[in-house]
Amino acid sequence: MGKYLIRRFLQLVVVSFVISVLVFMLVHLLPGDPTTQILGANDTAANRAILLKQLGLNLPLWHQYTIWLNAAFHGNLGTSYLDHESVTHILATGAPVSIELILISQILAFAIAIPLALVVSRKPNRPVDNISTTTTFGLLALPPFVVAPILVAVFAVGLGWFPATGYIPFTQAPLTNIHEMILPSVAITAGSIAVYFRVLRSDLISTLQQDFITMARSKGLSNLRIMWRHAFRPSSFSLLAVAGINIGSLIAGTFVVELLFALPGIGFALVQAVEQRDYLVVQGISLVVAIAFVIIQFVIDFIFTIVDPRVVRE
Amino acid sequence: MSDEHGISRRTFIARGAAAGGAVVLAGAAGTALSACSSSSGGSSTSTTAAGGKPGVGTGTPVQGGSLTVGLLSEIDGFYPPQNHWDTSGYIYAQCLYDPLVAIAADGSIQPYLAETCTPNSTFDSWTLTLRPNVKFNDGSDLTSTVVVNNFATLKASLLTGQALTQVVSCTSTGPLSVVYKLQAPNPGFVAGLATQVGYVFGQAMIDQYKAGNQNPTPVGTGPFIYQSWVPNNHFTATKNPNYWRAGLPYLDQITLRPIPDTIQRESTLRTGGVDMIGSTDPDTIHRFAGESGYEVIDSLNNTIGEVSMAFIMLNTVVAPTNDLRIRQALAKATNQTQIQKIFGGGFTQTVNGIFLSNSPYYSTTDFPTHDPAGAKKLVTEYKAEHGTPTIQLLTIPDPRLAQVVQIIQQMWSQVGFDVTISQIEQANLINDFIAGKFQAATSYQFGAVNPDLNYVWWSTTTAGPVGSIALNFARNSDPVIEQNMLTGRHTTDQAARVKAYQSVNQQLAKDLPYIWLQQYIFSEVASSRVQNWANPKLPNGMSGYAFDEGIFSPTQIWMSK
Repeated sequence: MGKYLIRRFLQLVVVSFVISVLVFMLVHLLPGDPTTQILGANDTAANRAILLKQLGLNLPLWHQYTIWLNAAFHGNLGTSYLDHESVTHILATGAPVSIELILISQILAFAIAIPLALVVSRKPNRPVDNISTTTTFGLLALPPFVVAPILVAVFAVGLGWFPATGYIPFTQAPLTNIHEMILPSVAITAGSIAVYFRVLRSDLISTLQQDFITMARSKGLSNLRIMWRHAFRPSSFSLLAVAGINIGSLIAGTFVVELLFALPGIGFALVQAVEQRDYLVVQGISLVVAIAFVIIQFVIDFIFTIVDPRVVRE
Repeated sequence: MSDEHGISRRTFIARGAAAGGAVVLAGAAGTALSACSSSSGGSSTSTTAAGGKPGVGTGTPVQGGSLTVGLLSEIDGFYPPQNHWDTSGYIYAQCLYDPLVAIAADGSIQPYLAETCTPNSTFDSWTLTLRPNVKFNDGSDLTSTVVVNNFATLKASLLTGQALTQVVSCTSTGPLSVVYKLQAPNPGFVAGLATQVGYVFGQAMIDQYKAGNQNPTPVGTGPFIYQSWVPNNHFTATKNPNYWRAGLPYLDQITLRPIPDTIQRESTLRTGGVDMIGSTDPDTIHRFAGESGYEVIDSLNNTIGEVSMAFIMLNTVVAPTNDLRIRQALAKATNQTQIQKIFGGGFTQTVNGIFLSNSPYYSTTDFPTHDPAGAKKLVTEYKAEHGTPTIQLLTIPDPRLAQVVQIIQQMWSQVGFDVTISQIEQANLINDFIAGKFQAATSYQFGAVNPDLNYVWWSTTTAGPVGSIALNFARNSDPVIEQNMLTGRHTTDQAARVKAYQSVNQQLAKDLPYIWLQQYIFSEVASSRVQNWANPKLPNGMSGYAFDEGIFSPTQIWMSK
């Protein structure tokens, strides 16, 4: 187990390094540079040259990369060219918003998808199963930017149950915070429910046909116990894998929802930085998001070893 | 046409033209024909609403209360030498700072933080006298030294220095007296002090910046004091208890919330999350006008001077748009009426140039009317000599603009052009404009209190070959336009000014560097609890410019109970 974890950790380090190089190169492949954003119509050749020198952007790319990487190792991800906020501060203020959004949405997704899959998998192709499958298929087809305005129109403007936009940190007003995060979270949840339900349902149906399930039934165990204690665990491997990828992609993938609901998360900050060629912000956020993605996969792999000890032996 | 995400950058370019930025102090004459109290002759009319004027408070002002405003975009900071103030930026600025001068409802420039501003007989030296006993919110005094230090910082900045190239020096001649010496006579100099370079910030900010703090805490003389700012979430400021304008502000607190999506912004207003919103979507006016519980004001009837125009800009020095026949054909092929019908919300009027029909500078022009047959004829003529004309039409990744350019593409294709569309990020499009690396592109610009302020965009002195930096983006180097603009800037004879600018407009219609589409529409919607949000009064008692294309003053707003 220890060797396995060390091996995975070393992979994490290598992958993070590769990501840092890729992110740096990709950002600098974008046409343009921050001078136009900063100087606007005053972007004369002379001013541009001065500014590029001030920002260190006139140095060779490899030199810029080593400066940035060295600073990153010391915890300094740089400062925005536009509003001069430190990237660390941008992450510190934005990450809790995005993480909370993901957390609530995934908890809701699991809370709906798992019980629903457990129920319908016992009797597949019955009306309940057909309705559930069709509905989740429909949810899969609806992207968050379609779901969000519908939710706002019905539940905020129509019924007045929730605010249309806004964010107060959890630490300042927990109940208000949860109230404000419901609609944005539900907008993301829809797609996740669909994915988790379909994957788990399919695996459960397969598992329920195994001999050990027949054995459990013949021993007189209740359906609830069979489903929860015997069928769910071996059926959850695919769910775990998909959840890991889904959650990882949501880390900065929530930007559409953040934009629509005016949430100051890192997704929105990243997209803004790309538009503005705010290199250091893009590099910093991308690097952290990529590392977070890798860590999440690492954690999922670790959970796998608990759920299925065979993984470690293999 | 609406623009949610790009508004900040595009509006910055427009405002840069409207003299805060690169233009006014670079020599634009303006409304201040003598001192800073003359009238430009500009006019504005207000819309009426049942029961009274929208945005004009009725009854006795109520002290206290809190106002929350939903903005189109976020500011990138509060330090004038460093940060870009677009429409939203100026709203922030109006809370924290005061400008040296301000625009009155009649279009004239009036003293604000300055008590007087007086030119010498040759208009190349301006003396400003500051108001006595005004303090910044950190307790320090407003003095001429602070204003001079402000100027030095602005002049040294890469962002704002260009706007001050014509100012040779700014010196203190007394505790409250500042003298600006100019390179050349400029009757309209003070108009520029109503923009970003004229908002006075505290010495403490300069000191903080010099000490290495790139985001100094805002220190101003304004009606509100900075409390907190979470970028892309909210900005909060509380009442300045020592504000120099007695009895003001009425509000205890103001909160600004950037909400980029127009529909979400409107929904937030409807659900009470904000009390006021701004919009550039004409449909916002449709959705709220006449609805009980809300008041609407828009730039259609409340703009002084030139309005911002949406247009297709044509490069007059690259093929095929360097051929006048091609520009004429493109203009004739463009059905302005249809575009306005689809995207103008039914509000806009036919435009034949930079002045609307209610402007004193308006006149008929030879701007081509929709004539597809005439366009085809011109294209055929060109084709016989040079082959099928190919046009790349550039625009930014904005959903509404994407629809507009597709319709325009169809219109142009029907008369024989081969048109491709490219969407480019705002920053790169500006680069292409500056370097002249485009054939045709969407843009909006030219909103200005005074037509002088657009000099830099049309001057022969700011045109240049492709590849060189040129603020005359279309590279339309027309000596007739240049001469008339110089006449307009330097004359004190209003009739001569009107004639000169009418000539400019007529010449633009002949040269066709721009295909006008429609007036750009700004609107503000407030719940009926918000009082007096479009009725500012200047310190001298005159009415101020109520709604400068999205910018309003928070000083005299109150909330009814």
